[in-house]
Amino acid sequence: MVKLILTECSLNFNKNLIQIFMKSIILSFFVGLMGLIATAQTYEIKGTVADSGGNPLPGVSIVVKNTAKGASSDFDGNFVISNVSKGETLLFSYIGFVPKEIIISNANNLNVVLIEDTQSLDEVVVIGYGTQKKSVVTGAISSVKSDDLESLPVERVEQALQGRVSGVFIAADAGQPGSSSTVRVRGITTFGNNNPLWVIDGVIVDSGGIGYLNQSDIASIEVLKDAASLAIYGARAAAGVILITTKKGKQGKISVNYTAFTGVSAPAKELSLLNASEYGAIMNEKSVADGGPIIFSDVASLGVGTDWQNVIFNDRAIRSSHEISLSGGNDVSTFFASFGFSDQEGIVMSEVSQFNKKNIRLNSTHKISDIFKVGQTLGYAHKKSMGIGTNSEFGGPLSSAINLDPITPVVITDPVIANGVPYSNNPVFRDENGNPYGISSLVGQEMTNPLADIQRSIGNYGWSDDLVGNAFIEVTPIEGLVVKSSISGKLSYWGDEGFTPEYYLQATSVNTQNRLSRGRSKGFGWNLENTASYSKEIGLHDFSVLVGQGVYVDNISSGVYITYFDLPITSREQASFNFPVTDDQKIGGTWTGTEHKVTSLFSRLTYNYDEKYLFTGIIRRDGSSRFGTNNKFGVFPSFSAGWIASKEDFWPENDIVNTLKIRGGYGITGSDAIGDFGYLALVSGGRNYTFGEDGTIYTGYSPNAPDNPDLKWEETAQTNIGFEARLFSSVNMVFDYYKKETKGILQPVDIPGYVGASGSPLGNVADMENTGVELELGYKKRFGELNFSVSGNVSYNQNEVTFLGDGKEFISGGAGFQSMGELTRVQVGESYNSFYGYKTAGIFQNVNEISSYVNASGSPIQPDAVPGDFRWEDVNGDGTITDDDRTFLGTPLPKYTFGLTVNFDYKAFDLLVFTQGVVGNKIFQGLRRLDVANANHQTSVLSRWTGEGTTNSYPRLSNDDPNGNFSKFSDFYLEDGDFLRFKTVQLGYTLPSEIISKIGAQKMRVYVTGENLLTLTNYTGFDPEIGGNVVGIDKGYYPQARSFMLGFNLQF
Amino acid sequence: MNINKYKFPILAIAILATIFSCSEDYLEVSPDGQFLSSSYYTNQDEAFSGLVAAYDFMRKNSGGFENMVTMMNAGSDDHYAGGGNASDGAGIQSFSNYTINSIELPGSFWTDFYRGIFRSNMMILKLPDVPMDEGLKTRYMAESKALRAYYHFNLVRLFKNVPLFTEPIDPADMYNVVQASPEDVYAQIEADLLEAIPNLPGVLSSEELGRISKGAAQAILGKVYLAQHKNSLAAAQFAEVNGTPGSTSQYGYKLLDSFDDLWMIDNKFNTESVLEVVHTNESLAGWGNAYNDDAEGNMVSTMVGPRGFIDLDVNDNVPAYSSGWSFNPVLPELYDLLKDDPRFEATILDLKTLSDEGKVQYSPGYQDTGYFLNKFAPTVAEEHTGAGDMWLNHRQNSYAIRLADTYLLEAEALGGNGARAQALLDAVRSRVGLPSIPVSMDAILEERRLELAGEGHRWFDLVRNGKAAAKLSDRGFVAGKHEIFPIPYKELENTQLVQNPNY
Repeated sequence: MVKLILTECSLNFNKNLIQIFMKSIILSFFVGLMGLIATAQTYEIKGTVADSGGNPLPGVSIVVKNTAKGASSDFDGNFVISNVSKGETLLFSYIGFVPKEIIISNANNLNVVLIEDTQSLDEVVVIGYGTQKKSVVTGAISSVKSDDLESLPVERVEQALQGRVSGVFIAADAGQPGSSSTVRVRGITTFGNNNPLWVIDGVIVDSGGIGYLNQSDIASIEVLKDAASLAIYGARAAAGVILITTKKGKQGKISVNYTAFTGVSAPAKELSLLNASEYGAIMNEKSVADGGPIIFSDVASLGVGTDWQNVIFNDRAIRSSHEISLSGGNDVSTFFASFGFSDQEGIVMSEVSQFNKKNIRLNSTHKISDIFKVGQTLGYAHKKSMGIGTNSEFGGPLSSAINLDPITPVVITDPVIANGVPYSNNPVFRDENGNPYGISSLVGQEMTNPLADIQRSIGNYGWSDDLVGNAFIEVTPIEGLVVKSSISGKLSYWGDEGFTPEYYLQATSVNTQNRLSRGRSKGFGWNLENTASYSKEIGLHDFSVLVGQGVYVDNISSGVYITYFDLPITSREQASFNFPVTDDQKIGGTWTGTEHKVTSLFSRLTYNYDEKYLFTGIIRRDGSSRFGTNNKFGVFPSFSAGWIASKEDFWPENDIVNTLKIRGGYGITGSDAIGDFGYLALVSGGRNYTFGEDGTIYTGYSPNAPDNPDLKWEETAQTNIGFEARLFSSVNMVFDYYKKETKGILQPVDIPGYVGASGSPLGNVADMENTGVELELGYKKRFGELNFSVSGNVSYNQNEVTFLGDGKEFISGGAGFQSMGELTRVQVGESYNSFYGYKTAGIFQNVNEISSYVNASGSPIQPDAVPGDFRWEDVNGDGTITDDDRTFLGTPLPKYTFGLTVNFDYKAFDLLVFTQGVVGNKIFQGLRRLDVANANHQTSVLSRWTGEGTTNSYPRLSNDDPNGNFSKFSDFYLEDGDFLRFKTVQLGYTLPSEIISKIGAQKMRVYVTGENLLTLTNYTGFDPEIGGNVVGIDKGYYPQARSFMLGFNLQF
Repeated sequence: MNINKYKFPILAIAILATIFSCSEDYLEVSPDGQFLSSSYYTNQDEAFSGLVAAYDFMRKNSGGFENMVTMMNAGSDDHYAGGGNASDGAGIQSFSNYTINSIELPGSFWTDFYRGIFRSNMMILKLPDVPMDEGLKTRYMAESKALRAYYHFNLVRLFKNVPLFTEPIDPADMYNVVQASPEDVYAQIEADLLEAIPNLPGVLSSEELGRISKGAAQAILGKVYLAQHKNSLAAAQFAEVNGTPGSTSQYGYKLLDSFDDLWMIDNKFNTESVLEVVHTNESLAGWGNAYNDDAEGNMVSTMVGPRGFIDLDVNDNVPAYSSGWSFNPVLPELYDLLKDDPRFEATILDLKTLSDEGKVQYSPGYQDTGYFLNKFAPTVAEEHTGAGDMWLNHRQNSYAIRLADTYLLEAEALGGNGARAQALLDAVRSRVGLPSIPVSMDAILEERRLELAGEGHRWFDLVRNGKAAAKLSDRGFVAGKHEIFPIPYKELENTQLVQNPNY
């Protein structure tokens, strides 16, 4: 039998696996339903729950042990449970309080007092392949519980995490609905892929794939930050691991939770751009400065003109969300099921910027016997999105709105113009009245009337279906030994549908043939993990051992796409693939992805003595398909230790430091998030040429790049020292210091062009260091009827590139802007991708200043400058201004990130204020197109240099710009990126129980939420939070919306 | 404990564990759709594919946004850069107004030729061991060497101080490369061509057209000699190519009777074509692969076409031009020289007059003169329809070298005097019905300007004859600096290369 399976291993396993996976999920679903049949009954018991101060506690969960029966206390602490019988046990539990069990006697009116749990460190945290009591954890793990996430109006889980934990920097990639975010755990770990590993209920999902997850299905998020915690995920853990656990059902009555919100979004900020007459005056000034004519003779007559931002922004973008969840269970089975859907319009050109999602989840666990337990999780989401291009200088509504002149009207209503060229003889777009949308004669390139622009793509969309699930069997043959086998899978389908009509947006944005396209792709990945863990207490020695083994396969993917050209139709409505077209009217293709495989063995030992002396050791061995035979496998060890000093006998009982744990660890993790076959020299096709009378295309093949057979794992070693303390009986504090050293960073080596390679080879080229400190503080106190809690975190990270290869000083960075070339540079001794350009030293106010700005030999450094030009700093002191005078001007990555959450509860009201922000970064403000002379300006241009003494910071205007005031990348383009944002403010009201009990509900809460209400920043673009591969590059970033929402929550 | 009770789960786990420790082979993934270099170049077909890849950069003459024709025209005294605005194609603009620097110079003028050299070197390295027809192998080797020479020639005449490669570089040495002396580079080019010429076919079969023939290699060698002012050697090579002026040469070359026929798109590989760059509209290029190795269209057509062209009078004889990007507007000086020349109509599209007459309309681009390069101007009739993007799929071939070019080069190599030089000049002129004029270096240079206008030769002619500074100083040309390009900035990063003087 073993032989048989072995031969199948490489052939049919994937297919079989899907079947096994689906079968087990379907099976568990039915088992779950059967488990929900309830049992007998006798009488009704009432009571109240209060804290030690006599204050009623609302929302306390009361469960009749080993049954599905239960209730929650209402706002006044009252509860009623029917159908109980004498001798059954009631279990009272409430967050922050010690659970209590009461055996039902004859009394039917219970007054229960719950004691506040001062040992809140006794929570359990997920640590990867298991859980651990928080008090004995020796690594740096931050966690966020569902309570902190519920009723947050976020579409994606990264946003929910933003500002909640220390050591994690998160910036939205765009304000477009459904957009992903850039997530960095403890700085930039490597040059390539810095996305953390997301593990959802044991399923490894890449950062792009977590969009399927519904935020309110999440029970907890744990961020593993130090190597001592991360090493259990070995070769893929270097950039951090984020573990997400979805909600499971609890024993007790079925609870139903419905949450809905609806609201409107609007831009939080609009740029201040020149109006038409201001624009006319500035254009005149620029033209005259270069000896040109006055362009607009009567600027006043131009009036205000068109406000293109008005055209693109929607102040009433609608968003709404509905979610319903159902959970419960008995002593055999528990389940959690949810269904939700949400719709969101973007604030920029909502017609083509929309997102909607529908999701379903079913999680269940079943006890088959005392020994066997099975369970599953399954989430499905369907997403549909329309989006505009964002953060690009090359067009799109945002860039167009900023750069288009305010003189061109949105719609041409003058019949003389509308009947003239180019409107009369080109396929221009028109409004509902048949008037053409205005075409600018001043600003061209990719800048086009946004209303016409979107007509190209209205109705085009992308879609995806994601199914992510996991099924496990757990065997407990003897006490303390748990053997678990789990299989996980993720199956996605995605695609897009689009039609582009013939159009004429302006002279160079013309499409002469309509086209209809469709793309469909499928991806599958699975992993199988087997673990055995054994825990044992012998006296005060408490130890547990985990051994495990896993196989992971990703990117079993393929896709097809096709485009039909020149369909015999005139409108989008007619577009269909059912039209017959000839072969030369089609372009189609198909592709197959390269599988990524990892096999692993791992083990963890945890030990503590009297919960006082703690130790954890981890070792993992991973093999990855992305490496050559010389270095196929890597071993990743870690160890960490802790000491709970406050448990020592000598620790005096005191009111200042109630508990104190000191911990530290060291470990090594890796990354294989590189391209496939980096270790091989491949010969690729497509290097074609055409020969012959008839023009036959021949396919050419050639090697891509020189090979590097020694390519190996990059390794990140991290040391972490920290402590956790509880102070003054009400303050929790966690502090960590870390030093993270990445060696042999895998990077496409930017080799000289004379090598003749197509593409770049990979190499273990560079080293980098991150050093940082993190502080998390929590405070929670009850003042009579006022409940107050505040939690905050602040993180500091310092990044430094320490090595780039022998003799290699720097490599060009990952960001550029038009003809400026590189904006950032990676150089030894500097932070990764630091801004690199010219330094300005004020503006020459008069000719004397120019002639007296001399070098050592007395000749002027900028002889060709004129008053009003920038004085460039001669950084290298060679007496002339050249490329070598560029220098480091700051980093796009913040030094500090912070978040602060404040909660108040007073009687029926609750208030949440959540703020977050960053400090210490620069943003490249590149909103204006350099190459479009007539592009509009922000009103900051009005304070330009116009004569001696006018300004020392904004140079004179000139189209020719011989001094490169605008065309050179200098600190002129950099702005402070510091901001403090009131991200969420929520005010809720819980209805009194008298009212809601009439419909049998347990809780009904209404709330209003404001999102992004206020952002304090000096940044002059739309939004200082700019994610992306190199963060902080603004070329027309889609800003995050300000939203107001009304929400409603009902629990049964 | 009762072991039977747990037999199944333990067995199941044991089996699963066995499967997934399957061995290291499990981690091997094969590169679908690609080959390993260690197992390539093992048969005739693979050798041919390698050769095709080496030919790929011949297209640099007129393919891609950064092509030789548009670039070299922009730097000459016959054209401006043009385009949409002052920074549309910043590299082309700054070459045209001589503000070119190492950052703005499009790096592809360097890297594309080196890619061609790398691929040629792979062939030269691998071919000896490929089991294949020996005759073909000899020819492939000759073509590879000719290509390596052609690419090196373009590099050395554009950049002068360039590294020389006769084999693929060992990655370990890649940062230790230094520039070779121009003399050494030229010596290698000459050696490559001289080795190639005997083994190249004199006549190509119809499906091979576009590959390097004996005549093409000799024409290249003639140009190589002439660039070094080895005039008698150059003249000898050109004479092999040209034969008796006006007659059919040994390789079948002959001036076309009608100059206009040179620019008929279907008249590919005519008898005047010595080295032709092949384009097709069948690669169906789209913006996603616009300038990739597999996009085979002619971009000069799109680049020189007028912006927003509208034919207002369909009854005139003006063809409906397809819109382009208005690069390389023709300077009035060239217009004046050509306006009474029989070659005018084929060379210059005078939209200025036509639009003054109300027959057409167009959107003036940057540096608009109203005169466009008609040799490549795209027409609606020739617009690519169907799949792919219209702008990227023009199918007109371009002449890297044509017979009128080699006639005049030979005359130049002969020092601009003597009966043969006179005959060569006369042949070029009489073909278009112009009378004989006394031959001289100036007459030859002037004839080249008119005959070859807009084909990318003028700038090289000026530099080779030491007239660039005189003709281009009003543009900003600085003698002793602008005769060559700056070494691209990226090539200097961490390497041993030295920037060209005065950049």
